Amino acid sequence: MKDHLLSLIVAAPALAAFIVLFLPAAERVAIRVVSLVGAAVALALSVVALVTYDSARSGLQRVEDYPVVPSMGVHLRLAQDGWTGPLLLLTGVIIFAGVLASWSLNKRDKEYFFLLLILVAGVFGVFVSQDLLIFFLFYEIAVLPMYLLIGIWGASHAVPPKGPFAAAWKLFAVGDKQYAAMKLTLMLLVGSAAILVAVFALYQASGGTSFDLTHLAATKYDRTTQIIVFPLIWLGFGTLAGVFPFHTWSPDGHASAPTAVSMLHAGVLMKLGAFGVMRVGMVLLPEGTAYWVPVVGTVAAINVLYGAFCAMSQTDLKYIIAYSSVSHMGVVMLGAATLTPAGWNGAVFQMVAHGIMTGLFFALVGLVYERAHTRAIHKMGGFARVMPGVAAFFTLACLSSLGLPGTAGFVSEFVVFLGAWKSGHFYWTIAGVLGAFVTAIYVLRATRAIFWGPGPTEEFHELSDARHTEWGALVILGTCLVLLGVWPRLVLDAIDVGSSTHLPAALAAMGGKP
Amino acid sequence: MNDLVTLWVPLAVLGLGVLLLLVDVLTPPKKAAQADVGWLVAVGLLVIFGATFLVDVQGVAAYGAYRTGPWALFFQRLFLVAGALAAFGGVEDVQKRTPGRQGEYWLMMLFSLSGMVLVPGAQNLLLVVVAFELMSIPLYVLAAHGKTDPDEASAKGNAAEAAVKLYFVGALSTAFTLFGLGLLTGLTGTTELARIGAAPLQPLAALGLLFVLGGLGYKIGMVPFHMWVPDTYQGARAPFVAFLSVAPKAAGLAVIAGIFAFGMQTQKSLWVGPLGMAAFLSMAIGNLLAVTQSDTRRLLGYSGVAQMGYVLIALATGEEFGLAMVLFFLVAYLFTNLGAFLVVHANAEAGAGFEVDGLAGLSRRAPKLALALACFLLSLAGIPFVVGFWAKLYVLLAAYRAGLVSLVVAGVVLAVIGLFYYLRLLRAAYMTEPTVSRPDERFGGPALGLAIALCVVAVVGLGLFPKPLLDAATRASHDLGVPAAAPHVGAR
Repeated sequence: MKDHLLSLIVAAPALAAFIVLFLPAAERVAIRVVSLVGAAVALALSVVALVTYDSARSGLQRVEDYPVVPSMGVHLRLAQDGWTGPLLLLTGVIIFAGVLASWSLNKRDKEYFFLLLILVAGVFGVFVSQDLLIFFLFYEIAVLPMYLLIGIWGASHAVPPKGPFAAAWKLFAVGDKQYAAMKLTLMLLVGSAAILVAVFALYQASGGTSFDLTHLAATKYDRTTQIIVFPLIWLGFGTLAGVFPFHTWSPDGHASAPTAVSMLHAGVLMKLGAFGVMRVGMVLLPEGTAYWVPVVGTVAAINVLYGAFCAMSQTDLKYIIAYSSVSHMGVVMLGAATLTPAGWNGAVFQMVAHGIMTGLFFALVGLVYERAHTRAIHKMGGFARVMPGVAAFFTLACLSSLGLPGTAGFVSEFVVFLGAWKSGHFYWTIAGVLGAFVTAIYVLRATRAIFWGPGPTEEFHELSDARHTEWGALVILGTCLVLLGVWPRLVLDAIDVGSSTHLPAALAAMGGKP
Repeated sequence: MNDLVTLWVPLAVLGLGVLLLLVDVLTPPKKAAQADVGWLVAVGLLVIFGATFLVDVQGVAAYGAYRTGPWALFFQRLFLVAGALAAFGGVEDVQKRTPGRQGEYWLMMLFSLSGMVLVPGAQNLLLVVVAFELMSIPLYVLAAHGKTDPDEASAKGNAAEAAVKLYFVGALSTAFTLFGLGLLTGLTGTTELARIGAAPLQPLAALGLLFVLGGLGYKIGMVPFHMWVPDTYQGARAPFVAFLSVAPKAAGLAVIAGIFAFGMQTQKSLWVGPLGMAAFLSMAIGNLLAVTQSDTRRLLGYSGVAQMGYVLIALATGEEFGLAMVLFFLVAYLFTNLGAFLVVHANAEAGAGFEVDGLAGLSRRAPKLALALACFLLSLAGIPFVVGFWAKLYVLLAAYRAGLVSLVVAGVVLAVIGLFYYLRLLRAAYMTEPTVSRPDERFGGPALGLAIALCVVAVVGLGLFPKPLLDAATRASHDLGVPAAAPHVGAR
């Protein structure tokens, strides 16, 4: 079947971005409508792509191939495998909700929506690329606009630094939005540097004729190459996935970023990292994976616990959510490291589930911050009385975060822990479950501190609940969260097809046994 | 007669110079018509550039001392485009600063260009040196051109300093080069480029090569011979620096490629080490020193040093593929760096000075100019969808293929440091508020705008469609006659 669905999904936001670029800056409504239409088209097409993916036939579908630099084997090759559909859906939902959540933006709107849409086009591009160089290219597109988005529209110093390092933090302007933007960009680009070297190594070792992922996967690399290249990919992409100890850009970046950017970054971009580790590292380099997987899994377990404990000690609402992302991304990497069908399904499902959940979280945090002008949770309390809708959705997100059955979070954590148990590394399971327990403590504490309990104090009496477009964002994200919780097969079937396509190679290298 | 046909590109440039001389002499000074001289140069160079696609001449001239073919033609086109863009970019500046003697400026530029277009075709060391000097000496004059201006910046004597530094360093480097070439010629008894490789492998040949590398390294701003770069860039007029920062460097690399990769290809073991070392040092020191600069011209100067490091990586491979990537990189660098200097110049024309802080709020004051600057900076940093990405990627890929893995790793890591200071400029342009608001700012005239627009079109266009340039570079590199790429490594 020859169709152009995938290229349309990438093109829709890019096209909208260029239309926005040529609109006069005063046309604030038109800019938003164009952005929303671009996002809506991408979302609708993503749904079509997911629903019409032929699970029975598996493998790559909707292949599109356009030569870019044929003499060096660079092709713009797009295709969809089992994992692609759910991740496209996630990206579509988040950008759609993100545009709705940015409706009240009031600063250089035109540039903001332009960059936001370009970024999303890059994300879509990564998920559908089947050519490693193009994959990398889209990856860079998805990472770089972040610098401007945080640096210009971000927020600085929501909660002033305290504690023993306060003086040093002040000196280096830690918490400042420009500090956060620069830190994020540089850390992620050091990761890109590692990835680029790995890309060269794979290209050269496979004969230096093609960047096609299928071709690269069919090549047998010698053991030394695999063992050297895998950590480059793991740490390169892993930096974006928040792998400990290279996660430190994430809390600062997410806390400083404007609402929709936090949603996209934590919701989708961190998934690009994990997706890269699995799709490029584990699928192409089975022996290297087999060699390194105990380290990958153990670091992931550290991620889960460390992120959770860090989140527990935060007083800034955004930092809590940001550290919870670090913790939950640990679950994704843990699932990937198990090298079992269940673990991989859980990992990809967790990408989707956590993406939507954290998108919802950041949308809500943005709403609260915009109204209360503070992110310090100890100043809040009893907000449920003035913003019942926001409180309800926040509680829903919290329940998913701690893995309550009936929400998407439960499905993914359950499946991942199952995979971890099967893989024989039982202590990973213990770490994971312990992480879920700590998560329950800090999310419930945060919910209580903000929405329930006594209050609100005098200054917060006038806060209003969500408004028109904001409702749209909350309802969409909340619905997805519950829908995936009660009917996981919606995406799990497709994910399972993807995992069973990609896993055998990795398993064969382990001697058929994880 | 045949020789004249083969030498048509240098002769055409020289002819344009003669035409210019006539126009200049026949126009009374202090007349408005003088401004047209600059336009004449720019359009004339573009016409010659266009003609190179129509005239198909290949062969040797002057008893084999000069050879034209895809290799020489590639460089000649590069120089012609650089000259035309620099002319568009500089015409208003020259008119404003030195209204009475504009012809002088353009004449020197054309003489320099006529030497430059001879360089890549030179097959004899004597011609190499003569052409190189013909290119260099007018540049010293050009650097000092703003010296007597009633301008406050040059009242401090910056232009004189720029010219003196350029001159002394240039003269010294010529001496070095000549000494090195003398050693090589003495060992082999020939001045023909194709035969100097027959020099016996002995310490004296290595010494000669080191001297040549040092001498030419000065011209391209290679570490440790880069000290003049920031000072000269800061002192001379920005549109001239835009030209100086790209075209002579390309000429220097043409000579290095000719002598090392082509002439001495059998003695690769002698020069691959020093060249690789120089590449590493240029990248490291250029990138690190650029971080602390507060003057955009000095910053771009050090960034240029670092960029030369990347070219040298590919040159150090000494293979056909690597040299093709050198050519690709040079074209990318031409449009990017020239464009960046012109934007900086335009901003200074509006009265904001050359400090990094002077770029503050550029996205508000001049959105289009800021967008152009963003394109150039992203290209210098090597970000996708602008030509600089492909340039860096190909250079590193070529080095990886040739097994220079440590240089590749150093290159990608140092590129991240590079990104830091390019982002500093971008931050100033996009994230800081304008320090002073002058609603009637003028960012140069239409010619400058045209030059910048052309650079943007090239940077973005080649970023989206790199294939034609890649093919041209591959053909040109094939023409030089160096060994093809080495076999692959790493597969089972």
